[in-house]
Amino acid sequence: MLIVGEMKLAEVIHHDYNLVPVVNRFNIPLGFGDGTIKQICAERNVNLEFLLSILNTFHDPQYFPKDHLKSFPASIIVNYLHKAHTYYLDEKIPQIKQMIKQLFELSEGNKKTLNLISNFFNNYCKEFESHVDREEAEVYPYVLALEEALKNSSKEKHINEELLKYSIGTYEEDHEDVEEKLFDMKSLIIKYLPLESADNKLFEEVSYSLLRELFVLEKDLNEHSRIEDLILVPKVEGMEKQYKSKL
Amino acid sequence: MESVVSIYIVENNFLLRSGIEGLIQEIPGLILKEVFEGNEKNLYEKLIDKKPDIIIVDPNSLGDNFISIISKLQDEADIKIIGLTREDCPENICSRFKYQLPYEANKHILLENLRDACGSDALLKKNKQGSLSKRELVILKEVVKGLTNQEVADKLFLSIHTVMTHRKNITKKLGIKTVSGLMVYALMNNIIDINEVG
Repeated sequence: MLIVGEMKLAEVIHHDYNLVPVVNRFNIPLGFGDGTIKQICAERNVNLEFLLSILNTFHDPQYFPKDHLKSFPASIIVNYLHKAHTYYLDEKIPQIKQMIKQLFELSEGNKKTLNLISNFFNNYCKEFESHVDREEAEVYPYVLALEEALKNSSKEKHINEELLKYSIGTYEEDHEDVEEKLFDMKSLIIKYLPLESADNKLFEEVSYSLLRELFVLEKDLNEHSRIEDLILVPKVEGMEKQYKSKL
Repeated sequence: MESVVSIYIVENNFLLRSGIEGLIQEIPGLILKEVFEGNEKNLYEKLIDKKPDIIIVDPNSLGDNFISIISKLQDEADIKIIGLTREDCPENICSRFKYQLPYEANKHILLENLRDACGSDALLKKNKQGSLSKRELVILKEVVKGLTNQEVADKLFLSIHTVMTHRKNITKKLGIKTVSGLMVYALMNNIIDINEVG
């Protein structure tokens, strides 16, 4: 399905409920009524084209944003990515940690395996956090400064040497190890979670929810890096070209 | 997951392509690597270059090149060819395919045929799960102690290539990709002791 502005947002969510957290990141919480995406964007002052390209990227792995859709400012993209980071770090990960804690409390058997899984996840979180920190501390400020410099460059002849030293290309490092760790976390739970007695139903339930959350997080993160690669990086590469041409 | 049986498709028609892709996704262990158009330049060389296990070919997409390309492909013993065949497909073309996906067949039959072509033996063998071999266990122990592939190779007098093959198989069998994940597995199953890990 190609999501377009004339569709009702509620129907789009019915079709693909994975989009709920995405919509949420645009400050459109549930209970948004019966409007089309276009109407809701206008009411809430959301950039329609940007929302559409994010929704489509999330919804369809084959989707590739067209050039005319990249007309929105880079600051909007950065703002979105930043919100997504907050969502992972402040909501999703604590939620998963809480579930692991619950498993500890519910488990009646040997805690060794749970300990190992829990440590593994904590290490993953540290690695993920430092990855996010780097983007927040280096990459995003650079993008925003570059955009600002482009805006002002018609007035000022001055070129910021600092901006020329960096390039978004260096940022295209691989997220691979972080992604693989999350995959391993799922494998460990699916295959090697310790057996509890059959009537420990709560343990079973929490471990199912835990696994489901890991799948959801993984999907969200995959789309997140696709948004970085397909929308942010090409956008900034264009800006870099434009800035250098002023030299 | 690692690919197990790699499939390439030669099909110009988007609708048909999507249909074949859907079938392939239904069988675990099969992976669709790439789709080619029938009129691409040097199609035969491109296909051979990929070392495919299976190629699914639509004779209509190949047009006049059909005979020349199919004859060459059939000389490659390691590659299986599946033909997408229409009811009105001429006998001299149909008979070229040992395995077929007929247009008019239902889903069940199509999946059966696809599985036949892959060879259930091959799928089972490649999918083999479960316990690690003795050799793999030895290598797993060294890897989780933090040794690099090269160090493991030196220590066990193996070539780095052999070590990498073992590591691939370990990952395939366990479904664990990272060293720290492997460490958790090894500790869980008492393959190593916590004191052995640096």
